[in-house]
Amino acid sequence: MNITHIDELDAIEMADGFVWRPIRRHFDIRGFGVNAYTTLEAGGQVIEEHTESRLEHEEIYVVLRGRAQFTVDGDEHELGPGQLVFIRDPALRRGAVALDADTVVLALGGKPGEPHQVSAWEAMFAAVPAAREERWDDAIRIHEEALEEQPNHPALLYNLACMEARGGRHLDALLHLKQAVAVEPEWAEHAAKDSDFAAIRNEPGFPAA
Amino acid sequence: MTGKGYEILALDDLDRVPYRGSGETLRPLRIALGFQPFGVNVWSAEKAGDKLIPPHEEDSGHEELYVVVRGTARFTVGDETRDAPAGSLIHVKADTFRTATAAEPNTMVLAAGGKEGEVFHGGGWETVHIAFARLDAGDVAGGRAIMESTIQEGEHEWGGHYNLACYLAIAGETDAALAELRTALELNRENVGKWLPHDSDLDSLRGDPRFEELAQ
Repeated sequence: MNITHIDELDAIEMADGFVWRPIRRHFDIRGFGVNAYTTLEAGGQVIEEHTESRLEHEEIYVVLRGRAQFTVDGDEHELGPGQLVFIRDPALRRGAVALDADTVVLALGGKPGEPHQVSAWEAMFAAVPAAREERWDDAIRIHEEALEEQPNHPALLYNLACMEARGGRHLDALLHLKQAVAVEPEWAEHAAKDSDFAAIRNEPGFPAA
Repeated sequence: MTGKGYEILALDDLDRVPYRGSGETLRPLRIALGFQPFGVNVWSAEKAGDKLIPPHEEDSGHEELYVVVRGTARFTVGDETRDAPAGSLIHVKADTFRTATAAEPNTMVLAAGGKEGEVFHGGGWETVHIAFARLDAGDVAGGRAIMESTIQEGEHEWGGHYNLACYLAIAGETDAALAELRTALELNRENVGKWLPHDSDLDSLRGDPRFEELAQ
């Protein structure tokens, strides 16, 4: 039986203080999007503030344990176990703070009318521990695996370039940064200010902002 | 919905729909929300030992994830049986047999499902159970309206008409049932032909010359 418990999933701490518990990635689910989120402490972020404007996902957040204070489109709602918020409008800003230290929120999401596509951010999140420990080869490998499925994804290319620049693979970093900028020119503006590219910013061919 | 593009809901407030045939309790979350990207529903059981997840494989080809929301569910997947306490996650591939009973009172499981590379179509199976629950409660017209609404949405094609024929046959509305059965046959004679000879839902029609003519 392919079974686990939410508390046994990887716990990847993100910069905003929430903890990503990768369910979809754990089971390699391909038919839909599903993850869980926990927090470091009561009062900490459990769902990062964001919109789904880019992916156009409908999302359901179910509180499985503890309590969470959701803010959706500026409205606040305190939810306990077995309560959910369904956000149909991808443009609505949403986020949640855990009111209990052991709060768990299940998140389900996808785009209506389209086959599910694995979100590129999952690889970026999954690479965070490796990047934090400066295991650049591992961080690069995670991005390369994701790019095999989505070869021209600009954010993945950009992040890969970041990891390569930090890992000393300067030519690869330049190549992938230029590919990202070719797909979405605005990445050049990010690159101009991004400390990850400090080692290659003066190299010939570095994209101009 | 709140009119603001989002909705707050408690799983305990979802309708309780007896699952036709095997008696589990479906809590139709996807329909309650109008959620479209993939399948998501809730199953609950009041007492330890009650049926929780109907025994099945996923003919739809959907992989499924079961999340134990509270209580403890006794899952059988393939030939293995295990107790899964709250917070457990069970992933099951489409062609694998699965079922569950409650190992504790007041157990609840959320189920999500979808198929890689395919746009989700609800298939309307939840609607069928909701409509028959209305019928069982004596609300013939209400259940029929639900069945007809799924046909108008184009969810079913032949299946919608066939299910409505079953519904009407059980409700004793023979003429209307035969008309729906005729439409279903016109849409997909091969699939309807697989069900029609042995479907007990249509028993009230058997012996009617019009049915025998359709069945040929």
